Amino acid sequence: MTDSRPILLVEDNEMNRDMLIRRLHRAGLEVIAAENGQQALELMASEQPALVLMDMNLPIMDGWSACRKAREDEQIRHIPIIALTAHAMEADRVNAMKAGCDDYATKPVDFPELLSKIKKLART
Amino acid sequence: MSLRRRLTLSLVAILILFAANVGTHFWGSFSRSESMVAYSDLVTATQLSSEIEQLLEGQQQQILVLATLRETTEDQLDAEELARAERDIKLIENTLRRLGNLSHADLRADFQQLWRSSDALLGRWLEFYRNYNDPGFNLDVNDPVPFVETAEWLKSLEQRQTALAVERANIIDRTIELTDRITAIGFFATIALTTLLGFSLVRYTGKSLKRLKTGTQRIGSGDLNYRIDNIDDRGELGDLAMAFNDMADRLRNAIEDVRQAKDAADEANATKSLFLANVSHELRTPLNAIIGYSEMLHDELDDQADIDRPQMQNDLDKIITSGRQLLSLINDILDLSKIETGKMSLHCEDFHPGTIIEEVCESLAPLLLEKDTELTLQDMDSLPSVYNDATKFRQVFVNLLSNACKFTEKGRIEVNACELENLDGWLSFSVSDTGIGMTPEQQARVFDAFVQADASTSANYGGTGLGLAICHEFCELMGGTITVDSEPGKGSTFTVVIPSDPELALEDV
Repeated sequence: MTDSRPILLVEDNEMNRDMLIRRLHRAGLEVIAAENGQQALELMASEQPALVLMDMNLPIMDGWSACRKAREDEQIRHIPIIALTAHAMEADRVNAMKAGCDDYATKPVDFPELLSKIKKLART
Repeated sequence: MSLRRRLTLSLVAILILFAANVGTHFWGSFSRSESMVAYSDLVTATQLSSEIEQLLEGQQQQILVLATLRETTEDQLDAEELARAERDIKLIENTLRRLGNLSHADLRADFQQLWRSSDALLGRWLEFYRNYNDPGFNLDVNDPVPFVETAEWLKSLEQRQTALAVERANIIDRTIELTDRITAIGFFATIALTTLLGFSLVRYTGKSLKRLKTGTQRIGSGDLNYRIDNIDDRGELGDLAMAFNDMADRLRNAIEDVRQAKDAADEANATKSLFLANVSHELRTPLNAIIGYSEMLHDELDDQADIDRPQMQNDLDKIITSGRQLLSLINDILDLSKIETGKMSLHCEDFHPGTIIEEVCESLAPLLLEKDTELTLQDMDSLPSVYNDATKFRQVFVNLLSNACKFTEKGRIEVNACELENLDGWLSFSVSDTGIGMTPEQQARVFDAFVQADASTSANYGGTGLGLAICHEFCELMGGTITVDSEPGKGSTFTVVIPSDPELALEDV
């Protein structure tokens, strides 16, 4: 990973957030975290992360709204977003892609696969 | 008007016209024959008149000759000649009587005149014959006055008879003409009326049939709201139209029923799919933590670095918590599915509701502390003990009180209980909070499975949306009810009413 910019993890569940941060750290990635969609948009604008891992069920502003808003914002529209959700139905994947996500991963997370998705998207 | 009535009416009209025609014909021939009888009487009377005239003239001649002979000769009139003369006079008299019988009522007066003068004349003649042989008898038979008078009366009668005959003949002609005309008019009127009735019947029936045809075509092509209401017939065609309208109604209702059944099936299907999606979602969330932490710990054990034991213990606790959460979720889902398939049964025992509620409140103390919320529990010692399912009762209050805690920050929660005054053996429990509350729309759905007040609620507050669904089902199983009263921003009050024995719920109250 040559890119020095961090990855933004958006997750409201504290347990899941801490666990993923630690695992991503172990994988050698720098991670910053947000707890809701609103915070995520602010951090995307200020930190310009290399990639966003976005949970969809979020308080204050949910993941789908945050994605749509990100795609409308000139400053951050280029940042790739991977939806990370326990909604595992085909319709949920389609909804996430429609909202503007670049990829989609279901919980429980298959970590090696998630890493390869991150590497693929963060490089471009 | 019905088709049958129309046809009957037409038939009756035609029959009346026909009867009028026949009647006219009979009346005509009757009056004609009556006039003919009168006419022939008149003709006979005229003949009799001329006959009488001849007889009178003959008799007059004979008497004049005899009078001359009596003066000039001494000849006597023998008995035979007298008898013949009397017969002749009798004949005249009889003929006169016949004429009298034939005389028309209008000529009665004229005949009376004739009768009087002829009676006098014939009397004189009879007297002359009878006294012919008596030389002392003297009668002036040469006096022409009585004869002329009688002859004139006869003439006059004859003239009037002729005039009357002409008049009668005219009447006959006129009657024939009139009856002929009436017959012709009646005949043509019958034809015209029949044609008119036939035409209007065909036209009217045709119009109604055409409307019926249009209506059935439209109903047949699926326009089930179409009504055949333009048939002005209360009879057969109207009945037919009504039958078609009824059929359309029933078809529409049947289709509506089918549509509703399909909608209900679709909705049930959608609910089931949604249920599955929700179950999948809810199971994945704790599994994510379990798998995630386990993999991470596994990886960390591979590392050469020293093991951070407290950290590892902490991580294992999270796995255990998530595992328990997963278990309680699976139990909830199983409970719900048991209830839905009717396999959930009641295990009744005697228990004191106050004790159970106190225990539940105690177990919530750490959470209350975290939320900085105060809980007030009414003294429930005075409540009677009940015979119902204690486990389900406890579950209901665990769920209600956990919810109250979850949705209330720095507020108050109150638990109250009382016996229902108007229903012996029934208890009411209420859990009130000063939490976020719900709109009426949210309240209406809050007891449905996997429904939280709105989508963001679970994100903000967690939870599966199964708790209240289970409360609702358990309360019903225990023979009671659960209701909610809430206002957004002000808080919610859940009220549970249960019988002290489930048998009470079966009684008709």
